[in-house]
Amino acid sequence: METLLDYEWIVVLLPLVSAVAIAAFGKKLPGKGSELGIASLGIAFVLSVLIAWQTFMNSPMEPIEHAYRWSPLGGGFVFELGMLVDGLTAMMLLLVSTVSFMVHIYSREYMRGEKRFTYFYAMLSLFTFSMLVLVVSNNLLQAVIGWELVGVCSFLLIGFYWEEKSNQDAANKAFLTTKFGDVGLIVGVIVLSAGMFALTDTPFNIIQINEAAVAGELSQYTIVLGMLLIFLGCISKSGQMPLHVWLPDAMAGPTPVSALIHAATMVTAGVFLLARLFPVLAQSAVVMGVIAIVGVITLFFGGLLAIVQDDLKKILAYSTISQLGYMVAAIGVGGYTASIFHLFTHGFFKALLFLGAGSLIHAVHSNNISDMGGMRKTMPHTFWTFIVGSLALAGFPMTAGFFSKDEILIAGDLWAGQGFATGNLVYWVGLAAAFVTTFYMARACFLVFFGENRSHHPPHESGKLMVGPLMLLAVLSVASGYIFSPVWNLPQNFETWTATSVIDEKASYPFIETPTQAVGVSAAAAEDKPFTILHGAPKWHLDLLVIVLIIFSSAVLLAFRIYGRGMPIRDPVLHMGRFTTILQNKYGFDAAGYRFVVVPVRDRLASAVSYSSNVLIDGVVAGAGKLSKRVADTTYHVVDQRIIDGGINGAAFSASWWSSRLKRMQSGDVQKYAGIIVAGVVVLVLVFALSR
Amino acid sequence: MSPLGPLLLATFLFCVGIYGVIARRNAVLVLISVELMLNAVNINLVAFQNLLFPNDPAVTGMMFALFIIGVAAAEVGVGLAIVFNLFRNRATVNVDDVDLMRW
Amino acid sequence: MTGHDVVFILIGLLTAGGALPTVTSKNLVHAALFLAVTLAGIAGVFLTLAADFLALVQLVVYVGAVAVLFLFGLMLTRAPIGREALDNQNRGLAIVVAGSLFVVLSGLIIQAVATGAFGQGPFEIGYIGIEAIGIAIFADWVLPFEVLSMLLLAALIGAIVLARREDGDSGEEAMTTRIALGDAPPSNALSGGKKTDDEAAQLGTGGAR
Repeated sequence: METLLDYEWIVVLLPLVSAVAIAAFGKKLPGKGSELGIASLGIAFVLSVLIAWQTFMNSPMEPIEHAYRWSPLGGGFVFELGMLVDGLTAMMLLLVSTVSFMVHIYSREYMRGEKRFTYFYAMLSLFTFSMLVLVVSNNLLQAVIGWELVGVCSFLLIGFYWEEKSNQDAANKAFLTTKFGDVGLIVGVIVLSAGMFALTDTPFNIIQINEAAVAGELSQYTIVLGMLLIFLGCISKSGQMPLHVWLPDAMAGPTPVSALIHAATMVTAGVFLLARLFPVLAQSAVVMGVIAIVGVITLFFGGLLAIVQDDLKKILAYSTISQLGYMVAAIGVGGYTASIFHLFTHGFFKALLFLGAGSLIHAVHSNNISDMGGMRKTMPHTFWTFIVGSLALAGFPMTAGFFSKDEILIAGDLWAGQGFATGNLVYWVGLAAAFVTTFYMARACFLVFFGENRSHHPPHESGKLMVGPLMLLAVLSVASGYIFSPVWNLPQNFETWTATSVIDEKASYPFIETPTQAVGVSAAAAEDKPFTILHGAPKWHLDLLVIVLIIFSSAVLLAFRIYGRGMPIRDPVLHMGRFTTILQNKYGFDAAGYRFVVVPVRDRLASAVSYSSNVLIDGVVAGAGKLSKRVADTTYHVVDQRIIDGGINGAAFSASWWSSRLKRMQSGDVQKYAGIIVAGVVVLVLVFALSR
Repeated sequence: MSPLGPLLLATFLFCVGIYGVIARRNAVLVLISVELMLNAVNINLVAFQNLLFPNDPAVTGMMFALFIIGVAAAEVGVGLAIVFNLFRNRATVNVDDVDLMRW
Repeated sequence: MTGHDVVFILIGLLTAGGALPTVTSKNLVHAALFLAVTLAGIAGVFLTLAADFLALVQLVVYVGAVAVLFLFGLMLTRAPIGREALDNQNRGLAIVVAGSLFVVLSGLIIQAVATGAFGQGPFEIGYIGIEAIGIAIFADWVLPFEVLSMLLLAALIGAIVLARREDGDSGEEAMTTRIALGDAPPSNALSGGKKTDDEAAQLGTGGAR
């Protein structure tokens, strides 16, 4: 029986059709292609809402898988190109199509008058298609294809203003850094599939990999090695430290691009992949520990970097890095649902923040908050949507960000209850980072919206096309949290929605045998039943609520004290001595990267390779040419001229030499002939006589 | 008598004739030597016939000898005619000078 | 050794003794005359072998005609009368070849006779008279006989054709022959007045042909 879910592929292909159509004849249209993009994304949005509704209402449900399978090697190995329909896919589909639709509408005004307007829309649609390919893929090879396509589109879009060299450099940096991680991804996929070869025809199939891992058919080596390598890909794509260096520079692209790619969708691809392969990494405590530690480091230190920034987009970029760290850390402490829930909500409010920033930047023609100020009077809609977004980011109670971030902290607490130290790390460092997050967002808000206006031209509110998406996203930033909140207990919630066939109510960790008494801060950590992946319906954690409120208010008060009356003459954040210097140097990552990666490759490796190509290989080829010419010469002079011609001439010469000697036999002297005949006769007679 | 005598005589005459054919310069003398050889053969034939096969009704040996005599006579005639021709054209009957068919 | 054998040996010696100078003599005419002697000796040998008809034929044909022919040949080809080196440079080869042939053949004959290849015992000479010869000719050898007569006819004609004078007239020598022979040009009296004046003038010029 075919349902709407079987037509999920329409959602995937619509943006591709739109991209091709825009590229083909977008320029001739009155809207220069934007209407095609908006229309197709609108349809995709509606479809994905319907799909999400259906999967949500029927959750938990068995996944539906449709794939083209073909076997180019004639049996034994099958390639798949297919789609998976389950809750996780539907959730991502909804997120991607919503944010992309919003960005498409927003860009119509934001990018008006741009020279490469049509190209921009074609690229946006192409990017959406690539992300959707990654999201719906049912096998790892297709996921890698989508991953790479997304990387290419990101490169093209970051380098949209490629007339400036710094923008080209930023695009290169993004592409090459993620490519470095992609090596890990591809090798990791191969390692996992190698373990699967003996078990199935389709070794890349995600559901089969998950089931095999849970059933214990993959060896521990395969799991640890494969997942750590795949995690390397996630580190680079999702901006974890140390491969986060490209994200801040990626802000060189247009703001809608930053909203779509570097907030909501592409950077979350890494987290999404980890969530897809969660059953595999759940088999190894080592892998989970590594993931948790990397996530914790990122979430704290990334957040710190946002404090000293002047560029509004850079603040948001570091904030993204920090929030991605939260998601990754949540995966590492068993917060499967928490992590992807935060992914979901973060996508909405970070896109909102970026689009709001775009509105502000568009008004004052500058990225820096030092050029803004007092914007709340002139741009009220932007003001309140931005505030809503900031509250969600900071985790103010009852916003979506509150629910999702709290789930992460609770997951850490529960994990700590099972005796893992990383759980404690996540809990406490997560709380500390929440303080930092609130502080820098409050700083930004105070400096931008309060105080005196410091811009060069008087700003004005943006048009409806820009403000409309802002409002919708603001609503979502609050509302999206309620599908997994303790406010009401639904039979279907976010957790049931994103549970898969492998991660069900009873799925657990093989390295946790007996339930232990939880030793956490939160009383909710006390459980009697076996520890499962899914933590069940959310509950109120009043102690956590209190802590969050205390953190929030103290950070806002601190920020108000410093920035409440506008830009201080001496920004204390920028005068913290050594601390400020380290933060402004971004912990030296960029300098180290230049010194230890770029210079050796460029100067030594490249020159060695060029030597081997130009001198060695070309030398071999030229030498072969010279050698064959020598051989040909020798063959001609010696073999042909002397030996063969000499032989033939010699044959003729010897024939003539012999004949000149033998011809003297014909002397014309008949009597001599007669004499020789008689001599012959004598011989014959002798022969006959003797033979008798 | 035994055939040894006639046979040896025939052999001797034959070899003398061969010597003459090879060693003589005058063409007529060469012909003379050829006659000598033919006669030696005649002696041989007659010796065989009369001494060894006297009862042969076909008298083969002697008939051969007769025919040889006749043919030899004809041959001498023609041969001398040729020698005359040669003499007329070349003004010499020296066999050595007739060596156009050489290399 | 009967008397028969003695006679044979004497005649044999004569023959051999005549053959040797034939081929070694430096005088051409002597060589031809010695040939005649040899041929006569061979006739004698035939007589000792009781082949009387053949002996007479030998005398008539060979001695009487062939030897004379040779003399004619010698004369007509301006054989130098007198001593002259008549052997060419093949003499060595000739001696070697003839000598070895003689040695081989005689050795073989002696060995054959000694081992009795020709039969044993005394050999009777069978007399074959002319009657028997005549019968044999026309009984067994009639075809060769006729062919021989044809051959003789052909030889006759051939010899005449070959030895004919070049101007086609008989009785007159060709100019070249005359000049080659070194004779004096003929006078009108010699030719018997058969020629006209212009022919005589032509004859005088000579060499026009």
